[in-house]
Amino acid sequence: MRINGVTIDDTFAEAFPMRATRLVITARNAKWARHAAQALTGFASSVIACGCEAGIERELAPAETPDGRPGVAVLVFAMSKKQLAEQVLKRVGQSVMTTATSACYAGLRADDSIPLGKSLRYFGDGHQISKLVNGIRYWRIPVMHGEFVCEETTGVIKGIGGGNFIVIARTTAQALAACEKAIAAMRGIAGAVTTFPGGVVGSGSKVGSRYKFMIASTNEAFCPTLKGQVRSELPPEAGGVLEIVIDGLDQQSIRACMRAGIRAACRPGAKAGILRVTAGNYGGKLGPHHFHLWDILR
Amino acid sequence: MNPLTLTLRAQPETWLDLSPLTPDGLAGKSATAIGRVRLRTGRRSVPLRELFDVAGGDPEHIRIRGGMSRLAGIGSRMTRGTIEVQGHGGQRLGQGMRGGNVIVRGHAGDQIAAGMTGGTIHIYGDAGDFIGAGLPGATRGMSGGVVAIHGNAGARVADGMRRGLVVVSGNAGELAGSQMQAGTLVILGSAGRHPGYGMRRGTIILGGPAELLPTFRSCGQLEMDFLRLLFRQAASADARLELLRRLPATVHRYAGDSAAGGTGEVLVLSRASRR
Repeated sequence: MRINGVTIDDTFAEAFPMRATRLVITARNAKWARHAAQALTGFASSVIACGCEAGIERELAPAETPDGRPGVAVLVFAMSKKQLAEQVLKRVGQSVMTTATSACYAGLRADDSIPLGKSLRYFGDGHQISKLVNGIRYWRIPVMHGEFVCEETTGVIKGIGGGNFIVIARTTAQALAACEKAIAAMRGIAGAVTTFPGGVVGSGSKVGSRYKFMIASTNEAFCPTLKGQVRSELPPEAGGVLEIVIDGLDQQSIRACMRAGIRAACRPGAKAGILRVTAGNYGGKLGPHHFHLWDILR
Repeated sequence: MNPLTLTLRAQPETWLDLSPLTPDGLAGKSATAIGRVRLRTGRRSVPLRELFDVAGGDPEHIRIRGGMSRLAGIGSRMTRGTIEVQGHGGQRLGQGMRGGNVIVRGHAGDQIAAGMTGGTIHIYGDAGDFIGAGLPGATRGMSGGVVAIHGNAGARVADGMRRGLVVVSGNAGELAGSQMQAGTLVILGSAGRHPGYGMRRGTIILGGPAELLPTFRSCGQLEMDFLRLLFRQAASADARLELLRRLPATVHRYAGDSAAGGTGEVLVLSRASRR
């Protein structure tokens, strides 16, 4: 398959089940909601060492938020419910509650849930107030900016982590330009986030390493500097490779992102140095979710 | 299907207990069987058809016409469906109510929503004393649900309230929210003397200044974002509470009653910022 002269490999992205939640952060204005969301989703590129993967899903208009203030929806993914609960608690406590004028609400409801205000309320040191509104419990924690209002819990569902595609170009600058277009095209697709800085992975990894203490290491098959030296996946003219990794609440959102992203990345075409689009997998034996590129783009 | 319409034909001589007339109690009954339901009045019990004309059929929606203050216990312990009263809603309306809707197009008497745990009650008129308080002898008042009085309320509204929302669009009598244990009481008109007397926790929101007990301590003028959430969510859940959406989030906060622990609050909405 070719799009604008760019070869699309007949391969698939292999993705894994994760536990996911959405949080809605509001503040006095969009700027401060963004500050909180950026802090919460900072240092959350990969579960390999960050504890969770998190990204900003979209900004919310006042009419879309529980308290009628501007807000931001963020998605947080982790390998287990326990890990998700730990990370959400730390991040909401240290990043959202500390942001001036902020409030934090559940962004999805599910049978399963993890604590939010239920644990953070203790910061109120006995002065916290619980309020039940329309069957939902909120905590009012007195803080310097007034009160930090926080929903009791947030819903947890089975999400998917590791939807991906890899852009191979003649130069890294060309690969980056294509990936920027892909990220712009994927922005606003509900239910999915790209958790790496700017949405792009500059150093995609493989599982394991020759060193026993490393659980992941560089994916040398896609390193352009090694293409004559190791068993490379790259054509001789490849000089820059970048990956886009997508975490989503369901298969549809990841498929929608991959479709929009790959099409946008191919738009500059072969004449702009984009050679191939492929995807990362482990032979299909590790992850239950397979996203076949040809199938998605057809 | 048309609502089951019960039109009061005769004036009862004394109290007439209508607590059997709920969607739960009448489910599956034919019009004839409904006519035979026995109602207590004073020391007697009489078949419903002696006092009411019965028309229509769906007991999930009961319409009572010719309501008067001698009626008692409308909607008692109901869990679902709707009861609509045209005329006075009587005494102890919605006592122990657990779910469903009661709408009164007229005034209502005392002890509305006593011991209520769920559902909604709307009174499009004035109501008497002890709205949302406890059942006789109980140590706590209503523990869930929404009561909206679209007129004025009597004394001690939300006495001992444990949970839920009571909204009075008009004025309320003295000792509103007395001994409240939690929950939210909103009085948009003026409140009588000493609102929040003996309250342990909970929130009383007042449309204007009231004569507070000295055991309430001023926390000053504040903008409270929680009120945006409360007003917006309450209005979204029930369009008939839309008036809350327009309220300001700037209040003067008083903490109290310090004679009873003092973690409750009276929030007086700022007139200046009221839109």
